[in-house]
Amino acid sequence: MAARIDDLRPLRHAREDAPVRSSFLAAGALALALQPTDDAAPAPAPAQPTAPAADVSVPLAGPAFDDDAALPTHADDVVDYTLRATLDPAAHTIHGEGTITWRNTSTAMVRELWLHLYLNAFKNERSAYLRERVGGRGSASPEDWGWIDVRKLVVRAPDTVPVDEWPRAELKRPGDDDETDARVPMPREIAPGETLQLDVTFDDKLPAVVERTGYRGSFHMVGQWFPKIARLEPDGRWAHFPFHHLAEFYADYGTYDVTLDVPEGFTIGATGPTVERTLAGGRAIERHIQGDVHDFAWTAWDRWQTFHETIGGVDVSLLYPRGFIRVAARDMASIRFALPYFSARYGRYPYRVLTVVHPQNDVEEAGGMEYPTLITSGGPWLTPPGILEPEITAVHELGHQWFYGLVGTNELAWPFLDEGLNQAAEVDAMGRWRGAGSAIDLLGLRISDANLQADEANGRAHDEPVAQSADSFSTGTNYGALVYARTATLIETLRRVYGDDAVGRALGRYARRFRFQHPGPEELLAVFEEVLGAHVAETMRATLFHEGWVDFVAEQAVTREAKTEGGVFDVDGKREDVKSVTKREGGFDSSVIVRRRGTLVLPVDVAMTMADGTTRVEHWNGEGDSKRFAWHGAVALRSVVVDPECRVLLDQNVENNRAATEDGGGGAWKTLERATYWMQLALQAVAP
Amino acid sequence: MSEAAVTDDLGLLTTDAMRARRHPRALLGLWAWETALAALIGMPLASLARDAFGADPRGDGALWSPGARELLSFATRELHGLNAIAIAAVAVLLAGAVAGLVPMAATMTAIAYATRDRKAAGLIRSVGEGLRQFPAMVLLLVIASISQGILVAVGFAAGSIVEAWTHSGMGEARAQQIEGLLLLVFVAAVGAIGVAHDLARAAVVRFKVSGGRGLMLGARTFRLAPIALSWSWAWRSLASLAPIVAAAWAAERLGGRGGLALGALLVLHQAVVLARVGLRTSWLARALRAVDTALRRVA
Repeated sequence: MAARIDDLRPLRHAREDAPVRSSFLAAGALALALQPTDDAAPAPAPAQPTAPAADVSVPLAGPAFDDDAALPTHADDVVDYTLRATLDPAAHTIHGEGTITWRNTSTAMVRELWLHLYLNAFKNERSAYLRERVGGRGSASPEDWGWIDVRKLVVRAPDTVPVDEWPRAELKRPGDDDETDARVPMPREIAPGETLQLDVTFDDKLPAVVERTGYRGSFHMVGQWFPKIARLEPDGRWAHFPFHHLAEFYADYGTYDVTLDVPEGFTIGATGPTVERTLAGGRAIERHIQGDVHDFAWTAWDRWQTFHETIGGVDVSLLYPRGFIRVAARDMASIRFALPYFSARYGRYPYRVLTVVHPQNDVEEAGGMEYPTLITSGGPWLTPPGILEPEITAVHELGHQWFYGLVGTNELAWPFLDEGLNQAAEVDAMGRWRGAGSAIDLLGLRISDANLQADEANGRAHDEPVAQSADSFSTGTNYGALVYARTATLIETLRRVYGDDAVGRALGRYARRFRFQHPGPEELLAVFEEVLGAHVAETMRATLFHEGWVDFVAEQAVTREAKTEGGVFDVDGKREDVKSVTKREGGFDSSVIVRRRGTLVLPVDVAMTMADGTTRVEHWNGEGDSKRFAWHGAVALRSVVVDPECRVLLDQNVENNRAATEDGGGGAWKTLERATYWMQLALQAVAP
Repeated sequence: MSEAAVTDDLGLLTTDAMRARRHPRALLGLWAWETALAALIGMPLASLARDAFGADPRGDGALWSPGARELLSFATRELHGLNAIAIAAVAVLLAGAVAGLVPMAATMTAIAYATRDRKAAGLIRSVGEGLRQFPAMVLLLVIASISQGILVAVGFAAGSIVEAWTHSGMGEARAQQIEGLLLLVFVAAVGAIGVAHDLARAAVVRFKVSGGRGLMLGARTFRLAPIALSWSWAWRSLASLAPIVAAAWAAERLGGRGGLALGALLVLHQAVVLARVGLRTSWLARALRAVDTALRRVA
């Protein structure tokens, strides 16, 4: 169904609960500011992360963000890293040193810093990451452990003697041996707006490739490798957390100036453009500088093959292993389509470079990951053209440049905001590019990415909410099915029901309005409400937060020859027994009953097919539990299908969307024919 | 070896007369046998599809809609039923592989023998012979299957070792390509065992010998002309793939439509099956001629 203008209610420019929330947040900020922060006091346990506070004073997006005119040019530079990293590829170690400059952008005084030491997730099986294994990627213990040792953290603040605060750092919480979330007390309170400089020295031992990072032989994929300052929310709350098994990351924007020192002969791929490259003493030294990003990752391998191409003004570098040129070329074709597409839809790509890393399959855990201006794709060298895994991976990871990179949501607290929205962007882009066979297009079988997501998601709809923190999910399977697939299914349903223009505009407005910011779910819902109306926002809220679901059912299809009414009638004082007979003018009385089960209200079409092959389409706004359509016509009804064009991908069960009259329905002759044929071929393969 | 291998009223045909094309009814019989077995699986699957999507005006054509929304839903929601059918399908395949020895031997009998008044052996006599040779055929099947299984296992193990050995030096792609080439050698060896197996079957039918003796005669025949016989088998095997590909191409164009398109697809698919039966039977006839010729020469 195309977008119905009358469904799009007037825009609301201020949320009714804003004042209440403002007061609540102010009280919370005050309470935090008054908390004792003496070094001797026990460190607070890492709190269950919550959404960053909605900046309720910010006006909603508005049509100014429907194009790139109002797009911010730069992020607020909160934290800058100037690092030098030296790789020893034989020992798989990295020596790092440099300076971190950090500014207190909150409204509160700060007495401590929180540092993420993500690499310690792979130090031992007492890390939160390895304790929490509930399935999904990275579930096996690393074949070789990895860790990060901070050697020095000298704090330089105005009016303070520089001192190494690392000896006072608290790496663990009582009763918890996880070492990924370190608390560092400050020598004095850091006032709002004040800037700190930290001189840092650290040594990494990379794990054998596990969950996005590590080594295999001389291959090195280096992510989550440096001490990273947690994000300080505007109210003075630290959004710090251990590295959880299903979770990703969250950080402030800043400038990364990183010099990488590797053996000569190694090819480097890294975040940001190369601004200097020198060869000296058998070493290759590359300096990369990138502003307006919140992470930095790199790879170094002495076997990378490289390919470069300029796409829409962006220098795209492709790194791939020998023998992988065909599948790597598919990565590049995907970028060729998706980079301009995403730029048009969600705001222009603001960086000069993009690096695509296609790892071998023996390090597939390094693949399928996003970092600012660097993505890792995946797929075996021999991937049939009809299996679109490489394309989907490349498009997905590229999409993260927007939903994760440019819109810097808290990936632990609200994973659906990055993975889910990005999955929706992937589904949309793949559908636009490859049509009905956007996931598999092989031997006549065409399976779309959107339908794969719907099938995966709908089976888990009742298990747990989509909108919850990553570490709250009971299994990796549910995390995947709900965060990725159900969010994508929700957005795709809205797109099909309310129109691509409106939903595309809402997502684009959200992505542009919150570029270089850290929005939460309320900001997303507010923009959708602004563009599509409160009822759509409510549908989203119900689906995301309250396990909302819907199942349309074709309950009944009845048709019969039109007859006169029979019975006993009292006419002029006489009682007449009237027989029901076929009406002289002929025709049929037909009716169907369709039902909506579940908590989501979505409009659908109902298609009724007649005996002469014609179709009558009725529209139901989905309100109420059921709807009856009855009519008199010249032709008998044969069958009814609810949502014949499969717009409501959230529909739990499409098998019950059909009902037929006694003479209706098409049977299953095709299945009999094909199944028999395939079985004949199978028999010929094994039979003598 | 007695030249006059005759049973009751059946007489051996001359070598050159052992041709599959002279026995269209035997071919049709084999086709009917395979179709009957296949329908054992096709019918419950169709029943499942009818329950799920039979009410659709396109019927189960909905299952083949572009994008596969209905197909995916069917695969997920009917998983238990599909699992049961899959298990049944495996059982039918195994049973077909063993029980199919009888119609195969019967067909070979029909090709190699005729009545004394030069009429075709007929269904009852051929099947009777097939049943008589069943134990020998089972023995050959077991020996060949075990040999081929061992070869496949050794092939995978060797391929895996070579892949691991070359992986770090040559990279994943090259290492796996070398592994694939090595596996092809083993596949060729498995094919050669298959050829010898068919020759042994032909020997059992032709000379009415036990499975063990048939194996020796088949191996001896193969040794006399390994390349010619392998090629004779290989071209028919390759040729039998062509109609599948052609039918797949046509099926894609006919789409999931019903009516005449479905009728056309049915005819096309059954023509493919029949053509493959013909090619297979043609090879079995060739095997009969080969053992006949080779063993006459040896005798």
